[in-house]
Amino acid sequence: MMSGRKLIASAAPLLVCLGLLGIWQIGALVLNTDSFPTALDALRAVPSILGDKESLVNILASLRRMAIGFGVGLAVSIPLGLMMGRSRAVASFFNPLLMITYPVPKAALMPIIMLWLGVGDIAKTLVIFLGVSLPVVFHSFQGAKAVEEKMLWSGAAMGLSALQRMIRIVLPSALPEILTGCRTGLVLALITMITSEMIARQSGAGNILFNALDMGQYDTVFAMIIIVGAMGIGLDAAFEQLRKRLVRWSEPRFDLPLSFS
Amino acid sequence: MNPRALTSDILLGMIPIALLVAIWQGLISFGYAPVALLPPPGQVFMRLARQLANAEYERDIAATLFRLFAGFAIAVILGVSIGLAAAASPAVNAVVRPIVRVLAPLPKVALYPALLLLLGFGHESKITLVVADALFQILFKVVLPAAMPSVLTGCRIGLVISCIVVFLAEMITSTDGLGHVLVTAARTFQAVDMFVPLITISLLGLILNGLLQWLRSYLLRGFPEV
Amino acid sequence: MIEIDGVSQVFQTSGRQSHLALSNISLTVDDGAFVSILGPSGCGKSTLLYIVGGFVTPSQGVARMKGKAITGPGPDRGPVFQEFALFPWKSVLGNVMYGPRQQGVKPAEAEAQSRRLIEMVGLKGFEDFYPKELSGGMKQRVALARTLAYHPAVLLMDEPFGALDAHTRTRLQNDLLNIWERDRKTVLFVTHSVEEAVFLSDKVIVMTRSPGRIKEVVDIDLPRPRRRAELLLDPHYQKYVVDIEGMIDDTSEDELHP
Repeated sequence: MMSGRKLIASAAPLLVCLGLLGIWQIGALVLNTDSFPTALDALRAVPSILGDKESLVNILASLRRMAIGFGVGLAVSIPLGLMMGRSRAVASFFNPLLMITYPVPKAALMPIIMLWLGVGDIAKTLVIFLGVSLPVVFHSFQGAKAVEEKMLWSGAAMGLSALQRMIRIVLPSALPEILTGCRTGLVLALITMITSEMIARQSGAGNILFNALDMGQYDTVFAMIIIVGAMGIGLDAAFEQLRKRLVRWSEPRFDLPLSFS
Repeated sequence: MNPRALTSDILLGMIPIALLVAIWQGLISFGYAPVALLPPPGQVFMRLARQLANAEYERDIAATLFRLFAGFAIAVILGVSIGLAAAASPAVNAVVRPIVRVLAPLPKVALYPALLLLLGFGHESKITLVVADALFQILFKVVLPAAMPSVLTGCRIGLVISCIVVFLAEMITSTDGLGHVLVTAARTFQAVDMFVPLITISLLGLILNGLLQWLRSYLLRGFPEV
Repeated sequence: MIEIDGVSQVFQTSGRQSHLALSNISLTVDDGAFVSILGPSGCGKSTLLYIVGGFVTPSQGVARMKGKAITGPGPDRGPVFQEFALFPWKSVLGNVMYGPRQQGVKPAEAEAQSRRLIEMVGLKGFEDFYPKELSGGMKQRVALARTLAYHPAVLLMDEPFGALDAHTRTRLQNDLLNIWERDRKTVLFVTHSVEEAVFLSDKVIVMTRSPGRIKEVVDIDLPRPRRRAELLLDPHYQKYVVDIEGMIDDTSEDELHP
């Protein structure tokens, strides 16, 4: 029998969503302009978007690109971050380069990359890869840096080589932090995907959004916002569940992601 | 910090950047990339220098900076106030925490079209977007542990987020600003002019980040090494 | 078994300063001896242990194990650290099995060996627990079992009971001696507690404050097996403690009145 408090705590996210939708509904009714449909109107438009075959194919294609960009991003960034965390030389080598690219929105590279690579999947996947890399590198770096030296020494005494120590001690030890970085990276993949589509306007969810905007289909605009928002929240929640299961052994800490923008 | 170590750190860090520039130049000199698509670094940096002196470009920078600072300032004020209120009152905390947790992963850029509809295509929509993004960063670091070092870290991240977001928003719809410059150059296939605003926003971000770092170390003089 | 020959250690601290942590240490440790290194904080005793362990390279001099110079860590010298340093993603059993598996022991045999060891350190029933679920004393027992599992010739213990409360500490001291009695490994034990050093050891090496030098080597001539209750009332034990405490106080005095 869950205590009342716990019940409220676990229902809180749902309550928040309902609350925000409620505020939206009231606000829209009050403002009463064409360009700001009510929450209910927007919600009603959602099934028609998801039901439309072309839109659905578009959205799924976006998600596929996102997944590939995310996967490749992890494969490159995690080892890089780990090495930076354990070697001061490696860290100094890559740090300024990363600092320079940090303020540049990776989606902003879309026009240039499209110029070079054309309008195909590679350009979009590349941009997503770049967007994912930064937080994953950063968190992997933090995680690797924080590994207790004595743990590594214990491993060395057991006969583990430097490479073995990296893979079998640094990696699992840094895993909680790495997964926090991945969580951020996942949402960033989504955001980079959307914004690059808003900029490049070829296909995908961002494109649907702006087409609807251009054509004055405001219900659709807001419906897409709901869909994208739901994707973001859904992906994040799913990943957090996965993360918790993978690092059940870790001491609970404040796991503050680097950024969600 | 050992001065000798610091110098070698900086030198080491310059290598990949220098290497990139060298490869960049190499690609053009050896004919692997047409100049129209990839202008040589020398040309880009000369253009950058000239643009920085150009009044019209300076107006674009000013527009971007204005939105950035306005958004960031509002986000800081709102964020710190909400954070302090949440720290002071458990009731406020109980309300704010779940909201922050739920909304944080939502791509706020997706709200941009809504903001455009509500607030028009000018400064307001962009500032609001910046606020929305930066606010959550600051809140995340303030609502959860309310302490000065965290607030400043949150501000630093919030500042970089602001750079990113304002640029993106300007790219999507704007009549001025650095993002707009990039999009215009893209439409007219001027590769050189596409690099210039990117480098500019990067420099801006670095400078602002550096300033905040300095401010942070100044304010945290007495604290143990964070 | 272990020979330390003219070892000095200099550390670079921030700001171009160098700090002499150890100065010209020479000593030998016999096979099967339980030797404590005792001294005030900062005297470099842990550093000396790390040099023997091969985790730190001495600035000057050389440490030898069975005649061969020590160049790095190895399973012949097993450490037990104050911070426990357990692998948090592995269970108690997983931690203890780590060393033997690394040495190529087959899983079934490694598991059987490890379970025996876990029982020996008093943690039977806790094999599937994770480090985060254990108390400090229990973690240190696991750490000990984990090191013993790969049969090092020498045990290097770095203030292993320093992070524990007094009661747990005395219990673990007793348990350590019981376990040690079984096969009488060579032990190098770092501590800043005089009573602990005298209670456990055959020989106590008293070090001065930084830069650490050997002040005195005291042979502890007390019968084994040692029982705490008896020893506390034994005037020989008490004299050792008082004498050695005096040596350490002298060290502090030297600092104040050069």
